Amino acid sequence: MQKYSLNILMAACAVVLLMLAQFRILDNYIQAVVMFVGINIMMSTSLNLVNGNMGEFTCGHAAFMCVGAYVSSVLSVLFFGTKLGDPMLPASMAVIVFPIIVLIGGVFAALISILVSIPSFKTRDDYLAIITIAVNYMVISAIENMDFIGGSRGFQGMKDTVWAMKDTLNGPWMLFWVIAFTAFTIWVIRRFITSTYGKGVNAICQDEVAAEIMSVNTNKIKTINFMISAGLAGCAGGLFAHIVGYVNPQSFNILKSTEAMVMVYLGGMGSLSGAVISAVVFTGLLEVLRSQAIMDVLLAPATFVFPDWEPSAGVIKWVMIPLLLVLIMQFRPEGILGNKELSDVFPKLKKYYTFK
Amino acid sequence: MSLLTIDGLTQRFGGLQAVSEFSVEMKGGELMGLIGPNGAGKTTIFNLISGFYQPTEGTITMAGTPTAGLKPHQVTSLGIARTFQNIRLWHDMTVLDNIRIAQHYRMGYSVWDSVIRGKKYREREQRIREIAEELLEAMSLTEYAQEFPKNLPYGLQRRVEIARAMSVRPKLLLLDEPAAGLNSADVEDLIKLVQWIHDNFDITIFMIEHQMKVVTSLCQWIKVIDFGATIAEGTPEDIQSNPAVIKAYLGDDTI
Repeated sequence: MQKYSLNILMAACAVVLLMLAQFRILDNYIQAVVMFVGINIMMSTSLNLVNGNMGEFTCGHAAFMCVGAYVSSVLSVLFFGTKLGDPMLPASMAVIVFPIIVLIGGVFAALISILVSIPSFKTRDDYLAIITIAVNYMVISAIENMDFIGGSRGFQGMKDTVWAMKDTLNGPWMLFWVIAFTAFTIWVIRRFITSTYGKGVNAICQDEVAAEIMSVNTNKIKTINFMISAGLAGCAGGLFAHIVGYVNPQSFNILKSTEAMVMVYLGGMGSLSGAVISAVVFTGLLEVLRSQAIMDVLLAPATFVFPDWEPSAGVIKWVMIPLLLVLIMQFRPEGILGNKELSDVFPKLKKYYTFK
Repeated sequence: MSLLTIDGLTQRFGGLQAVSEFSVEMKGGELMGLIGPNGAGKTTIFNLISGFYQPTEGTITMAGTPTAGLKPHQVTSLGIARTFQNIRLWHDMTVLDNIRIAQHYRMGYSVWDSVIRGKKYREREQRIREIAEELLEAMSLTEYAQEFPKNLPYGLQRRVEIARAMSVRPKLLLLDEPAAGLNSADVEDLIKLVQWIHDNFDITIFMIEHQMKVVTSLCQWIKVIDFGATIAEGTPEDIQSNPAVIKAYLGDDTI
């Protein structure tokens, strides 16, 4: 029973969420926030695979999200949209084809990640970080120069696919797919990283020379690890594009990569549950601090002293959140969970679930 | 047939000749020692054998296969395992995991299998686990299986590192100063352990060691190198009375 308790709990939560969304108890705003939580979970867990488990330092994770977003958007518009000529497939197929489109986006992102993984055979740490930033800019600039998909003006028309799914069968489809892909991401990462195969990744992190000498094919493992990580980020990008209905290269710039990194460091390097928790906390904070009322209360002492100052929540939250990060790094430098999993921090939880 | 043949091995780092014209022929089941003063090039020879450096000149042949151009992990899968002078375990993984990872080359399943976890994956993983547990049992490390190596005393870390090397099921085991940093009781244990491994597994051992006690009580044949060149070889008794060796270790008193 305990073997499946967590899965059952998760599935129940998902069903409840979907039901609430279906009967409009959750409005579109809450739904969007839940979906962004899912996207951020995918981003932070997949980045954690490289930055946490493998101990490499990449800060261009948004590049892979961008590739996934554009590839799946273009395919989606080609198949179901009207922007690039007539739809190639009937709208009734959207439900089946949509996840395939998102996965294809992930595959392309994984292929782009070879640009990062090959240099990583020879270099690591700061030098690899610079290469990943370079790849991030390469991807953005390349897309900005592709006029047939909108260039720097961005690309839209993916909502056709979402509506096609809604027409076939009314329901909160995007929410469903985000939940499904988030579960898929965690499932893949968890299984990969706990197998003897995936433990090679940890061995590379801790002592690459020893790993190579003890018969771990380090180059192959690095490539595979980068590809899994980038592929999942690509899937996240594809979903993101379909939620928003509009993509622009500049929305995947270094700021987006930084956001993913912040979530990894907040949660604790190499901790899967930490990455999930920090993604939830971080996205939640971003939304909560958007409320002017809460911000006014938080800043009441300051505005009392300086009555002329009227801070705007949208701007001042970018002071509060980095400040929070500074404080966390000061008092808990290893992140929320350190490099442990939730069940290592609270051993009592082991009684209730095992996660495989 | 000889197991390991090294012929005219030479390694230069820029202008420095670290190893020159090193040759050795090891038959299966031998226990050979390699000694020499600090900086003589002993560890370089080990790095060359394990594929970590590519030799400038000369050939290394392991059981009929030349190792030139092979990556270290490919050399390992030919049946060469080694330990390091300063222990290089994966300190944040359990002892059991340390031993499991060292079986990467005969894991026999792909990354898809590790995600999907079908029958093949379960069988292989089961097998890896069995081998690891057998080995821990044989090396009397079972009680430490779930410990992190960083929490173990130095002598035990050595033992774990040798166990990890053994889990590759090597034909040739290279021990790089296994007694470095051990106290005298641990050294006694180590001598027993190496002797036991040599007697119980069908294995050839090539060891670098500074402590003469370890070398003379274990090795049947000793090679002595200084400044990369072989200056003497023979049985432990010959070596102990060889004037060239004494000169290399203690210096020349003809000033």
